[in-house]
Amino acid sequence: MIPQLVTVRVERPGRAPIRAWVPVLPVALALSPLLIVAALAALIACVVFRVDVVRAFVAGWRLVCALPGTRVDVHEGRSAVLVSIR
Amino acid sequence: MTEQRRDILDMLAEGKITAAEAEQLIAALERTQPPVAASAEARPKGAAKYLRVQVDTNDGGEPGRVNVRVPLQLLRAGVRLAALIPPQALSQANTELSKSGIPFDLTQLKPEQLEELIEHLDEVTVEVDQPDNKVRVFCE
Repeated sequence: MIPQLVTVRVERPGRAPIRAWVPVLPVALALSPLLIVAALAALIACVVFRVDVVRAFVAGWRLVCALPGTRVDVHEGRSAVLVSIR
Repeated sequence: MTEQRRDILDMLAEGKITAAEAEQLIAALERTQPPVAASAEARPKGAAKYLRVQVDTNDGGEPGRVNVRVPLQLLRAGVRLAALIPPQALSQANTELSKSGIPFDLTQLKPEQLEELIEHLDEVTVEVDQPDNKVRVFCE
């Protein structure tokens, strides 16, 4: 299953914390023109570097589907950054 | 069955100790053995889903903490994607690694070997303890 929600939280001393919940599917749909251009660029790169397009697509898709569950949490003093993919 | 328990049963079978003494010894053995922790040994093989990296630092009095959780499935997918890297890119990477003082031949690294490595990652626990820093890498 592709990621559903990306949570980003940034805390800095003396500033209000930034919290963002990014729903992946709506954002991907909104950015679909850019995604199509990126996919075309990837296709051309595969052809130029003689990489199997289907294998590359499958591997890339698996990578995206494996992202849920990833969590990066960094605290340094009173600063903190959290990125969580669900 | 542990070796000590087998020794006790052997002594009982040989008549060196009585059944009551054997029972006492086994009870004492169970008391001294640590309880089975929720570690990689307690977990069935291949049940781990995530690779965790925890770093606790206390440099200069400012406490820092890094906590990264990566799905093992993501590592597997990354290995499959890395298998598509063209040979000329690998040789270029080898050249750059050699320049940096790391004589490592990436072309010798096969995807099957990497997958095997990931399969056995859940048995690995790395712990580094220093007075101010602590690093822990494990699977859960």
